[in-house]
Amino acid sequence: MVTRLKRRTVVFVGGGLTAALAARQLTSRGVDVLVLERGADHSQAAEARLPTQRDELRWGVHGGLFQDWSVETYSLRHAVDETALPIRRLEAFLPGEGMGGAANHWNGQTWRWAEYDPVLRTRLEDRYGSKAIPAEMTVQDWGVTYAELEPYHDLFEKLFGIAGKAGNLRGKIQPGGNPFEAPRQNEYPQKPLPVTEAGVIFSEAADKLGYRPFPMAAANSPEAYTNPDGMQLGQCQFCGHCERFICEANAKGSPQVLLYPMLLQRPNFELRLRTHVLGVEYDRQARRVTGVRYLDLVTGQEYEQPADIVVLSSFTMSNTKFLLMAGIGAPYDPGTGHGVVGKNFCHQTMFGTNVYFKDRWTNPFLASGASQTVIDEFNGDNFDHSGLGFFGGGYIYANVTNGRPIATHPVPPGTPPWGSKWKQAAADWYAHSFNIYVHGSWYPHRDNYLDLDPTYVDAYGQPLLRLTFDIQDNERRMSEHLAGKVDEIARATGADIAPPTVPRRPPYDSRVYQTTHVTGGTIMGSDPRTSVVSPHLQHWDAENLFVVGASTYPFNAGYNPTGPLGAMALRLGDDLSDYIKQPRQL
Amino acid sequence: MVQLTRRGILAATGVAPLAPRFILGGAATATVLLEGPQTSQAQAAGDVVPPLAAGYLSLGPDEAGFVEALVDVMCPADGLTPSGVDCGLAVFIDRQLAGGFGKGERLYMRGPWHQAKPQLGYQLPMTPEQFFKVGIAAADAASRQRSGKGFSELAEAEADQFLHDLAGGKVTDERVPLASWFNELVYPLFIQACFADPIYGGNAGKVFWKMIGYPGLPATHAQDMVDFRGKPYPGAAEPMSIADFS
Repeated sequence: MVTRLKRRTVVFVGGGLTAALAARQLTSRGVDVLVLERGADHSQAAEARLPTQRDELRWGVHGGLFQDWSVETYSLRHAVDETALPIRRLEAFLPGEGMGGAANHWNGQTWRWAEYDPVLRTRLEDRYGSKAIPAEMTVQDWGVTYAELEPYHDLFEKLFGIAGKAGNLRGKIQPGGNPFEAPRQNEYPQKPLPVTEAGVIFSEAADKLGYRPFPMAAANSPEAYTNPDGMQLGQCQFCGHCERFICEANAKGSPQVLLYPMLLQRPNFELRLRTHVLGVEYDRQARRVTGVRYLDLVTGQEYEQPADIVVLSSFTMSNTKFLLMAGIGAPYDPGTGHGVVGKNFCHQTMFGTNVYFKDRWTNPFLASGASQTVIDEFNGDNFDHSGLGFFGGGYIYANVTNGRPIATHPVPPGTPPWGSKWKQAAADWYAHSFNIYVHGSWYPHRDNYLDLDPTYVDAYGQPLLRLTFDIQDNERRMSEHLAGKVDEIARATGADIAPPTVPRRPPYDSRVYQTTHVTGGTIMGSDPRTSVVSPHLQHWDAENLFVVGASTYPFNAGYNPTGPLGAMALRLGDDLSDYIKQPRQL
Repeated sequence: MVQLTRRGILAATGVAPLAPRFILGGAATATVLLEGPQTSQAQAAGDVVPPLAAGYLSLGPDEAGFVEALVDVMCPADGLTPSGVDCGLAVFIDRQLAGGFGKGERLYMRGPWHQAKPQLGYQLPMTPEQFFKVGIAAADAASRQRSGKGFSELAEAEADQFLHDLAGGKVTDERVPLASWFNELVYPLFIQACFADPIYGGNAGKVFWKMIGYPGLPATHAQDMVDFRGKPYPGAAEPMSIADFS
């Protein structure tokens, strides 16, 4: 029997970063908010306390904070003529569970995307000609500009205590920052993190080659910090247990530290943990949603939760699945190119090499999730793509986030994989090597999309989401081009050993971690024929349904997605306040 | 608390200082006592080895013999560490197979089942524990067919070559995909056994952490970031583990 509950004003499906940011805006104006989250509150549990927090096997390898694949996974095929099979243990990207979602176990690498990214299609057509973008590359503009988002970026950075160095203050390029940065109104709220030894070596090499290295902006707090809401961050201890872990020092900007504890004090906010949403209720005639159905994972009872407004604030994959399950919006058809739900699914293109130094102490365990040194010369459209045969790029960085030894014990190529020689190599190079990596873009391709699997189901009997997905020529060529840039930098470091970079090539591999930045499926845009939601994140086919998160990104940049995610979630909170006063197509 | 070496504890309690294989009743290979070069090497490395957990939760005697031989080939006693068995690597693997990982925790286990490209990942209807044991039986049978000897009876160089052949897909079985068994199940367990916190039974005495210079817990490095950038980190000599804070 399904119990019908009392109507609520705004119901969020998924209690991660975006729900908390939008709820901050809404609840401060007195709006009634309910957040449904399938997982638990981690903040006082083993994963957030010493010594158990520092358990690489439990959290880093077995993924104790991630979505439980035995309950729900995704299926994968590389092309439409193949049969998809369930990814039984996914490693390629890592959705979270519980209050705060994946933003609990992120590294804290925080970027604003390039000023041209929200108008990328226009930019590429203006620069390279109207026919330069291949037909299969279904990249499109967002329908919102960077300038409109800038105040929300600023607010997000202040709320999360982001540590960095401005590269572009109101149009003036700043020494020491990213010269390719979109113009900012204000400096970062905190000074940059201290540089690692790998960063020192990388900077020297980048300088030699004429590049302009800078410290990555970080949600790892270099000092104790109090944000505009009075919420506090502790000082980062550079413990090397950041991504895949919860910060026990409360030094990583995370919703469970900065947002939910504050929201839970507000009388018009409710967080209902261990509730798994089964579906969104859609009135097709009225073109409105009426609420959601969920399963209480404590009691096993099913509930109907009526709502004036529903916001899908889950991970990229679940946002798409909810729309496909409810039949809201036309599913994308790769054969015709028609339909929108599931379209433009993207990941990121990661590759690089290790450099080894006999006489430099890199001490990889002295690092935080975002204590990195970067160049941005080869990202996005920061360089001329004429004649290159691809679009996009990535930032190149000294990628040291930790020295956790199960994952990090690099040995030079040719070392046997076990035995005394392997042990000797691991002993020789562990504290004397680091990784130079490309954090690369992934532009959409007509053949890459999401839909519902016809065969496999999750623990609740619902279809798995199916990825039809592969690394296409654009990303392969980009990777080959930038691999050469990595190798130049690697040689310029003077490393004793600098093996050539192997570019990222197809087929797409579910077993290898890339980033947790999967995007698309419910993309935004100003044309209902080619987008799921409007530039205000309002569903074109259901006025009181909104979707927030990286599922709305029409393509994936080489930058980490959290900055625009935070900005757009804060803006959504303001848009929803406006909508509640006067419901309409925004 | 005064820490004793494993040997010291065994001696103090009057138990013969034998490797776990002997406590199990001689499941396996040659009779290697915890003496001579292994012990002196461990001590040379400044290693204070706590007592290894005795006995197996998942592995039967023959399976234990296979795993002990395997970890001793992959981690021979040398100037860096004691033998794999003495580092607790077999115990680690056994505990993993007996626990949530081995039972398929967090693993999607619904059918139907089909063979797939490797990039789609594991696609067999067995739990990791079942797959591990099916693989042991198939690999051991392949070894007998090849040389007339079970894997645990091979001389060290032969056993090492056999493992390289397994990894390279040169040892095959009609039903069991032995290359993926070795590369995607056995090898990761070996690496985890070496480098995981000793609370799981491997990395006895933090010997692998000492070997590479990983300082372990509590890792409060805000000042170290400044003081030891580009310099040897003194804390790496005496790493701390979960047990040290429990």
